[in-house]
Amino acid sequence: MLLGLVSQSLLSGVTNGLIYALVGFGIAAIFRGAHIANVMQGEFSVVGAVVVDVLLVQIGMPYWAAAIIGCLSGAALGALIDVVFIRRLVAQKAPDDSYLLFTIGVSITISAAVLFLFGREGHLLPPIGSGQIFIVLDAVVQEHALWLIGISVILMFALRYFYRRTTLGMRMSAAAIDPDGAATIGIDVRAMRTLTFVLGGVLGAIAGILITPIIPVSYMVGLPLTLKGFSAAILGGLTNPLGAVAGGLVIGVLEALVVMQMSSAYKDVVTFSGLILIMIFMPRGLLGRAGRAGG
Amino acid sequence: MATRSIVILVIIAAIALAVPPFLPRSVVDLLVFSCIYSIAGLGVGLLLGQCGIANLGQSVFYALGAYATAYMTVTLGVGAAWGFLTGVILSGLIALVIGWPVLRLTGHFLALATLALGIVANALFYEWDWLTHGSLGFGGIPKLNIFGLVIDTPLRFYYLAGAVLALCLLASANLIGSRTGLMLRAMRDAPEAAKSLGINAQWLRTRIFILSAIFGSIAGSLFAHYGSFVNVQSFGIEKAIAFLIIPVLGGATSLPGVVIGALFTTLVPEMLTRFGDLHQVLFGLTLMATVVLMPSGLMGGLASLSRYMTARGRA
Repeated sequence: MLLGLVSQSLLSGVTNGLIYALVGFGIAAIFRGAHIANVMQGEFSVVGAVVVDVLLVQIGMPYWAAAIIGCLSGAALGALIDVVFIRRLVAQKAPDDSYLLFTIGVSITISAAVLFLFGREGHLLPPIGSGQIFIVLDAVVQEHALWLIGISVILMFALRYFYRRTTLGMRMSAAAIDPDGAATIGIDVRAMRTLTFVLGGVLGAIAGILITPIIPVSYMVGLPLTLKGFSAAILGGLTNPLGAVAGGLVIGVLEALVVMQMSSAYKDVVTFSGLILIMIFMPRGLLGRAGRAGG
Repeated sequence: MATRSIVILVIIAAIALAVPPFLPRSVVDLLVFSCIYSIAGLGVGLLLGQCGIANLGQSVFYALGAYATAYMTVTLGVGAAWGFLTGVILSGLIALVIGWPVLRLTGHFLALATLALGIVANALFYEWDWLTHGSLGFGGIPKLNIFGLVIDTPLRFYYLAGAVLALCLLASANLIGSRTGLMLRAMRDAPEAAKSLGINAQWLRTRIFILSAIFGSIAGSLFAHYGSFVNVQSFGIEKAIAFLIIPVLGGATSLPGVVIGALFTTLVPEMLTRFGDLHQVLFGLTLMATVVLMPSGLMGGLASLSRYMTARGRA
């Protein structure tokens, strides 16, 4: 029984941690490719999940088609935000806090629009697979949790490969690290930033679709998801998908332990105090220098 | 130019003093909130405009002021001045203890650290209900009584809050004009040069953080007296975001801009309520548009508009 309790709580910690990591992937991608702290990343997930919910539940499309359109809507939203707004801010040489405030504005707008169009209540998507239940070490595991774990790990390696091995990935990093230098060697810096936002939007939508069978999507989940995603990404050094997974797992498991030992109310206190301490004492993230440079 | 701005200031002050008695009660109520939010936003504006620090944790100090007032006047039953004083001292101390390590961070990290601070504090306010009464809150906070005059109508409170705001603006203008203000701008615009001239950046930033916290606390105490009820729902992340939006909308480097930003954030949502549920969306869009179209805030926008008009007038 005790073993069951421990393994159940660790398992939920791992699942939650990977949820945070999924949101953190998009935050890391946008920070890496545009040096913008994107406070609206959680809203990409909300939009992706809402689109899939509408197509799947209300129109009755097959799951795969709805999921693809959901991801495309995240991509379109990312592209729209960059082309219409971010380009202007960049052209004005706006300071860092303008971007922060702008993404807060987008986040308020999307959240209010979801409330207006979609209503107050939360919606759950059906889980991936047949909804089978497994027993591992006395703990109950839903099939969807396994899909979530698997897809997160695959995404992590895919992103790592993308940034390290593909020309496009390296171009995107270069355009952000040294825009002038990148432009000199013929990289289209503006296009790279738009692609960065498209990537961030798709990652956000994927995260939303995977999360929503576990956490109901509603107008108010965006900001909390963003905050947890940020914590995961920052713990991991902010630019590195591998780091985001490590950061997400640390937070998820830590939260699970706090819930088991103290009370669920202190979950956020411990997470966010830890976040502040990590930022002060380990500014490069948990994985240190190597983690930040790689990935 | 100096006489011109003094004239403008006098005209604005005259309007602010003379017009509200003729306004409907609901509008005066919004003006009271504009004053209270201006005071809290002014603290954030000093940090942002003078030090380049985006503070998303002002709700913490706003809450401390409100709770200090509630605890002192309701639980202990002592005079209102004790509430203000406790709030200010507590906020100053906490800002010192937290600010010293956290202000070593810069840019996005600092903004996120202050946001995290706000979330931690809100969770603690919620949990420590023996102290804060959690979501049930404190009721029956007494009206302020100044030398026998009871501040029990929105109009009277408006004049009180307006006077406090004017004092805070004056103090801030003094600070910006002083040697310290010069050091702050040097530190913001050329940190390396400032450091090589012997400016202790961390201590200077901590001092401004403490001042900002004190403004937040005073605003919170005023809020508690005005509403006579406080609970944890008033001090969430949304409030911290609103306090940052105020100076940014107005124009972070300008002091009057803070007041304009506060008027905007209290009056515009109210005007938009006629659009029903859509008004939040419209507010968000307005915020986005202001950030993109007027990078130096509404004050900056007004300034360039007036330059444009003058240029056209000459041509």
